Amino acid sequence: MMSLVLTMLNDAVFSAIPAVGFAMVFNVPRRYLPYCALAAALGHGSRTMWLSLCLPIEWATFLAAALVGVVTIAFAKKHLAPPLMYAVAAIIPMIPGTYAFNTVIGLVQLTAQAEMSPELIYEVVSNGLKTVFILGALSVGLAMPSLLYFRSRPVIK
Amino acid sequence: MYATTQNDITRQVVRVAQLLLAYGAESELVEEITQRLGHALGLESVEISISSNSLVLTSLSAGRCITTTRRIREHGINMTVVCELQRICLLTEKGIYGLNEVRKRVGRIQAKTYPAKYVVPMIGLSCASFCHLFGGDLNACAITFLASATGMFVRLAIAKRHYNLLLNFSVTAFVTTLIAQTGYQFDWTDTPKLPMAASVLMLVPGFPMINSISDMVKGHLNVGISRWGHATLLTVASVIGITIAMQIGGLFL
Repeated sequence: MMSLVLTMLNDAVFSAIPAVGFAMVFNVPRRYLPYCALAAALGHGSRTMWLSLCLPIEWATFLAAALVGVVTIAFAKKHLAPPLMYAVAAIIPMIPGTYAFNTVIGLVQLTAQAEMSPELIYEVVSNGLKTVFILGALSVGLAMPSLLYFRSRPVIK
Repeated sequence: MYATTQNDITRQVVRVAQLLLAYGAESELVEEITQRLGHALGLESVEISISSNSLVLTSLSAGRCITTTRRIREHGINMTVVCELQRICLLTEKGIYGLNEVRKRVGRIQAKTYPAKYVVPMIGLSCASFCHLFGGDLNACAITFLASATGMFVRLAIAKRHYNLLLNFSVTAFVTTLIAQTGYQFDWTDTPKLPMAASVLMLVPGFPMINSISDMVKGHLNVGISRWGHATLLTVASVIGITIAMQIGGLFL
């Protein structure tokens, strides 16, 4: 239990840093940077929790992204700013970087080889599917609040 | 309402829509803000049609329609501008701003960016944290920091000279991977693959990708697909850069 809390804290802290970094690339105003960090920490921390409950990574990512969606809409209502401004920076730490990288490396190796080895094809397909489904879970999870609750009314009045 | 006033209002509204799209807002937000701003300034209805690189806007007032088209040139993501435009729309809706104030505020908008001396180390730290999250050791994180900070420096330097974005991503990915693979070449770390994966993550086109999915989910299918295509092209461009760098280093191939 203690180790889980420590892992969650570790994940939360080290996903808050990239959120601020990428928010700066997107030129988010300075006073909103801490909120991006907070949303990212909540999102990644909750994903670690779901993963520890033996959920598959796609579903864990989906739930975490939905949490980020809800939290950022609360921020947006408070500051009268567009919710995606916080949300995109906040979910960047959850982007499946290693899966995507392994897929690409596998593809390059496939083109370089004379014959197709089944292990390599298996690796490319499984990594590629993981990448695609995690990305889908991220973006659909983020859109969940406006799909379920804010169906035809504006988020900010 | 006089015809000249409708002309003026339509011009301001379409300017707002153009700025929103140029600085990377999603289509649903653009449509919402333009319609609310138009209503607040006294137009009966505002209809907008967005395509990948232009927008058409029709305003209706007292049985008279004005249709106008604007070309959109991408200026990179700038959330400060989007925020400011949303605030202008809200203040107009509350009746605090009239047409003149809107014109003044919109004309005063400048796309300010963070200075490179802050962005470069922050991106280095960001990618180093990615490396840590993937399970890399301290040396791997240090290599990642160096590689991605250099890469970000190169990216900003190329962007300043207005080169093609795809070219920019290729060159940046090349430089970043070239530095990140030193872990393999000199045996500095036990996890040499992770710096290579983590340091190129700064090139992930996050905003185009999320915008494209949320456009498609909310029914703006053609804008969504064109943004998806843009994001894919950027990814392919970075992959080309990575591959060339790895071939020079003699890894995996």
